[in-house]
Amino acid sequence: MRHGLRFDGVAVAGIGMVRFGLYPDRPAAHLARDAGLAALVDAGMTLADVDESFVGYIQPGSMIGVKAMKELGLTGLPVTHVENASATGLVAFRDAAWAVSSGRADVAMVLCFDKFTDMVKAGGGGAGRDQIDAPILPAAYFALWAQRRMHERGTRPEHFATVAAKNWNYGALCPTAHRQPDHVVTPDEVLASRLVAEPLTTMMCCPPDDGAACVILAREDLVRARRPDRPVVRALASALQSESYSRGHTFVGPVVGPATMTRDTAAECYEAAGIGPDDVSVAFCHDAFVNEELEYYELLGFCAEGDAEKLVEEGATGPGGRIPFNTDGGLIARGHPGGPTGLAMIHESVLQLRGEATGRQVADARVALCHLVGGGSVCTVNLLEAAP
Amino acid sequence: MARVPIEAGFFRIPDDPSAAPVLLGSRCPDCDEVFFPRRLVCARCLSVGCLDVELSGRGRLWTWTYCYVPMFGKVDSSVPGYGVGQVDLPEGPRVQAILLGTSSDFRIGMEVEIDLETLREDAAGDDVVIYRFRPVSPSPTEET
Repeated sequence: MRHGLRFDGVAVAGIGMVRFGLYPDRPAAHLARDAGLAALVDAGMTLADVDESFVGYIQPGSMIGVKAMKELGLTGLPVTHVENASATGLVAFRDAAWAVSSGRADVAMVLCFDKFTDMVKAGGGGAGRDQIDAPILPAAYFALWAQRRMHERGTRPEHFATVAAKNWNYGALCPTAHRQPDHVVTPDEVLASRLVAEPLTTMMCCPPDDGAACVILAREDLVRARRPDRPVVRALASALQSESYSRGHTFVGPVVGPATMTRDTAAECYEAAGIGPDDVSVAFCHDAFVNEELEYYELLGFCAEGDAEKLVEEGATGPGGRIPFNTDGGLIARGHPGGPTGLAMIHESVLQLRGEATGRQVADARVALCHLVGGGSVCTVNLLEAAP
Repeated sequence: MARVPIEAGFFRIPDDPSAAPVLLGSRCPDCDEVFFPRRLVCARCLSVGCLDVELSGRGRLWTWTYCYVPMFGKVDSSVPGYGVGQVDLPEGPRVQAILLGTSSDFRIGMEVEIDLETLREDAAGDDVVIYRFRPVSPSPTEET
């Protein structure tokens, strides 16, 4: 029988990331190196302290993960590549947390990187011109979902624009966000941007970007010994699922469904952790296209089915709200290079739980939830907590 | 000039140029669930040995959008935009496909029928085609 994972005595030793953006002249391995070095400094460690490493990316190419690790040194440590589309970073985090929790490693590193600019040079990601999947873009797939919700729930484009504006404005407060607007973004500005796929406008969609991020996990006693000067953040629990079949499943074209996959994965993770949505202080979700965020308010259990619009109207998921979502700007503003996306969520979760998220700090943040879906498709939900 | 599918195994192109293409699906002999595209193992009951079936060319539009970008990104810029939808076939499968028409032509629940869209000419001079759906007119008003 399948269970979520509950981690025992696993803490975050260090975090580091390269601000997401476009770096056409910097090799991916160098972005990875810089994120890794930042995390080692944050942890008060060197690579000699790391027992095992998990490397994730979604750009084409085998072996490039282990090569990127060599930029940090050659110590003989085991390196495993992890790839699960957009969910890659969180799934690599889950594997590293389990490596420590199970006792096979005292210290495990997660290193993720991706360069959209390289993928464009290589002719683009996704299906080629000779494949049946080719004409339906991810934006169209999520727009189909948005249109159906508008039909069933009476959702208006203004609801989508309000959530997108919230994430853009969070981006302005986060130093590692790709999009840092120099003015307050309004829902009207979002609505006035160019239509991509009805009803989604460009400002409701994540940008292309490059980036890298690194998280080091370790036994809690080691973390306390290395950095006695600051609050400890624990990896608490994780769940990962692929699709269950139900009528209406689409097999051809992009797919990240069925939507219930998020609900079921979240339930499994909450059960493993022994907590519920009411215990969560701050949440991060796959808002590659803004209508997703509304769906996940419901599917992650933060409101009843059909109440997401009310949550938006109340401002419950923004600054000072009941359950702030995507406080680093989310995929829409912080960015979504691919592999590192999930680690950026962990990065922001750790800052929030340490009380270091200057300008966007959630008051008394105790528990953070990180959710991603990945094409194909999979869903992962992960919980972190501030140690008492 | 022949018509060739963008990728083999998903639909059949009749010899009669005026005839509609036929989607190739599978039916599980044990639980009767029907799938598009073809598969060996039933996704519902895990029975091995699904049977080949041909699917209806008409269905109802479950949802739709209109993309304001050229098809295939910037590779083929001759197309200003295009519709995309999910169509529920009477046998059960939901099919994602290109739609013929513009935004104002589509409505959730409307009846649509299959035909072919020519994407480009290949090196041999043949037309590379893909299935698409278009509103049946006059459209019924019933919604699903």
